[in-house]
Amino acid sequence: MKKILFIFTLAFITTSVNANSLLIKNVDVYKSNGMEPNTNVLIKNGEIVAIGKRIYETADRDIDGTGKSLTPGLFNSHTHIGAVEVSAIGPTVDYYSDNDSVTAALKIAEAFNPNSTLIPHNRTHGLSHALMIPESSTHLFSGQVALVQLGLNPRVIHDSLAMAADFTEHGFDLSGNSRAAALVELRQALDDAKDFSRNKKAALAGDHRNYELSYADLAALESVVNGSKPLLVHTNRASDIRNILKLAKEFQLNLILSSVMEGWMVADEIAAAGVPVIIDPINNLPSSYETLGARLDNAKLLSDAGVKLLFTNTSRSTSHNAYLVRQAAGNAVANGLDKIVAIAAMTSNPAQLFDAPVSGDIAVGEIADLVLWGGDPLELTSEAELVMINGEIVPMESRSLQLRDRYFKRLQP
Amino acid sequence: MVITKRRYPMNRTFLTNASIAALLMVAGCAEQNSSKVEITLPNKNPFPSTYTIPKNTPFAIVNANVLTGDGLELTNTDIVISQGKISAMGNDLEIKAETHSIDVKGKWITPGLIDVHSHMGVYPAPSTSNHSDGNEMTSPVTAEVWAEHSVWPEDPQFEKALAGGVTTVQILPGSGNLIGGRGVTLKNIPSITVQGMKFPGAPYSLKMACGENPKRVYGSRNTLPSTRMGNMAGYRKAWIQATEYKKSWDEYISDSAERSLSNTPTRNLRLETLAGVLEGDIRIHNHCYKVDEMAQMIDMSKEFGYEIAAFHHAVEGYKAASMLAEEGICGVMWADWWGFKQEAYDMVRENIALVDYAKACAVIHSDDPIQIQRLNQEIAKAMSAGNRMGLDISPAKAIRWGTYNAAKSLGLEDQIGSLAVGKNADIVLWTEHPLSVYSHANKVWIDGDLRFDRENKSIQPTSDFNLGIIKAGAVRP
Repeated sequence: MKKILFIFTLAFITTSVNANSLLIKNVDVYKSNGMEPNTNVLIKNGEIVAIGKRIYETADRDIDGTGKSLTPGLFNSHTHIGAVEVSAIGPTVDYYSDNDSVTAALKIAEAFNPNSTLIPHNRTHGLSHALMIPESSTHLFSGQVALVQLGLNPRVIHDSLAMAADFTEHGFDLSGNSRAAALVELRQALDDAKDFSRNKKAALAGDHRNYELSYADLAALESVVNGSKPLLVHTNRASDIRNILKLAKEFQLNLILSSVMEGWMVADEIAAAGVPVIIDPINNLPSSYETLGARLDNAKLLSDAGVKLLFTNTSRSTSHNAYLVRQAAGNAVANGLDKIVAIAAMTSNPAQLFDAPVSGDIAVGEIADLVLWGGDPLELTSEAELVMINGEIVPMESRSLQLRDRYFKRLQP
Repeated sequence: MVITKRRYPMNRTFLTNASIAALLMVAGCAEQNSSKVEITLPNKNPFPSTYTIPKNTPFAIVNANVLTGDGLELTNTDIVISQGKISAMGNDLEIKAETHSIDVKGKWITPGLIDVHSHMGVYPAPSTSNHSDGNEMTSPVTAEVWAEHSVWPEDPQFEKALAGGVTTVQILPGSGNLIGGRGVTLKNIPSITVQGMKFPGAPYSLKMACGENPKRVYGSRNTLPSTRMGNMAGYRKAWIQATEYKKSWDEYISDSAERSLSNTPTRNLRLETLAGVLEGDIRIHNHCYKVDEMAQMIDMSKEFGYEIAAFHHAVEGYKAASMLAEEGICGVMWADWWGFKQEAYDMVRENIALVDYAKACAVIHSDDPIQIQRLNQEIAKAMSAGNRMGLDISPAKAIRWGTYNAAKSLGLEDQIGSLAVGKNADIVLWTEHPLSVYSHANKVWIDGDLRFDRENKSIQPTSDFNLGIIKAGAVRP
């Protein structure tokens, strides 16, 4: 019985998507290579089948996009979505662990809650995908990064995209309060992972030397030291960024940098190493001694040097309002970054780097993963009017909207 | 008990509250018939503002589009500024030839933005323990502490807020305590002392906190309060003591026949501040997220006869909107923050718009040194959310949340928060429409003095802290 019902449901969903072709007319389309003004986009079966001034086909539904814009669905490249409900309520918080015997082996994906109220709230405002990054609590390595899709059936796309490590003052604190000691610890862990990889059989048989990290942690680091999985390092001070770049070169790591508030000071070196960075372009305060160089045009200066950008947004909104990555992008543009580059930093760049099932672009033949905005795509007065994630239109429903409607009724005379 | 509330205690160097002043007059008459001990009352203003309006020659801003800050949008308007005030405003004003005119060619101006909830100076950047001075969490009631005594004027966050068009800030103690201490209203200008920033004549505020924070802080130490009922008991106990304290001083002042040096009441700093609230001198700014707790705070204010100026972080403001309107209490809110605590779980993006819709005083606030730099964007988001549900809120109406309504919550709406003849010349000239994400504050005047100019490095103040960190002459946005 259960099985029959399941098949029926699937068939129903497919039919409903098939039956709905959609034509968005006269809309400004933001593609990864530029903006195409005032054009039409035809979507069939959840796929973009035509883009152009002249589309003569009719669709089941027309939307007038005059004065509106279309962007790919947004990505936020540093969240804890699905691993937190209420930050101050410990049992709902799974993006870090106080268990010091679990470091690199932690997979945040395994904590993902597809029923989190954060998901509908964020997707109704245009967020289609998010990176879940575990945070360090006991060790420099915090665990494995996941990519999640926030559509009708929220799901983990990749459960181990990268290994996250903390080389900020917080990480140094976990490592005996010295950045020099932290570097020794990182090096030792990478050396151990290499050694473990070479001598796995003996090590597991108890016939090899002891390691600081558990076998599970070392096994998780194997793909990092063999270069197949990126090491994602949070770090801020220019000199710390340099040390990590040097370490990555020495161990031939596939590196992604994150936070990099003083990145602009070493932008050329980051660019030369071909390392992408995840940043919050709004963060411009010397909130700690490692971010004294923080500035609002960090994104612009990094981009000018040739660094590939991936955007996230300010700390207090990282997960609950992850969709505000769009505000972060808008501010980057207000401070000199090219608009197409800014949009790419929350669409095509993360989609490609993290091998998403959508391209983060609007092009013929691609899955429709896109947002129709009421105006300029970065203006805060432009609301998401239509959101399609992985080919499906998502309903404009959330807990927050239900609360609003309930109390608006009560305000009527 | 009826409280006569005065917006501006005019004579702060002497006896500044209305009831004591009135009683003194009675005492003065009585003294003609007796020669008792002369009355000496505590100085209500021992740390007076040293701010004075810089001398500037009159100037005019011409051809501006204006959001007045109190609900109007004006086009092609000229404004004349003289002695720190707006002396004339209108279309095609006749401007004297010798008056310097700045033709802004249709660019937008607004009043200086006001943030009524900031911890700049008391939680400065860099955020280190040596400067973490915002929460005196050694007792649940610390009405005796004053935020101004913790303000580090060199906090490099102030200048960032200025670059965002913020001209006035209320600096509050944190919310770890039931009653956290006095807040202070500052002009956002560089000064080596906090007295140099203090808004002359601005009423003091008292920070109170509902809900999770105080009960968590003290509950973890096994002392009262560890529950919400403990919170209420804690406030009420304090107000009972304050009522008694006020009575002892009132009797001392009024009963000239019995007055002697030996029965002069002993000063108690904690109760002195609370008595200042009971007398209507000090305004309550109450951290309170939830509608049920707001209702209890309102009942308690009636029990003890004081008024509440504002509920801050009112995430459930939309549930309390009618109540706020009826009681004349401002709801001070974020555009969209939520989920960091259970009491911040019921967020709606339409919160500010709905409080406004109910005709209550809706105010935007930051409580955050990043967000304070773009209050205009926070206003834009809140307006947009309201418009999406069909409330039809114009930018002219929305800007009030960070201007006139904010000033009203501070008791300063006669001086700041809107652009009109006679008001302080706190003015921001924007590069784009003020509610655009692409807009920057281009020029910021406080009392007619140009304090920030995006186009002129020499008018971009930086704190002592930044010297040697930012290269001399360099600009760091």
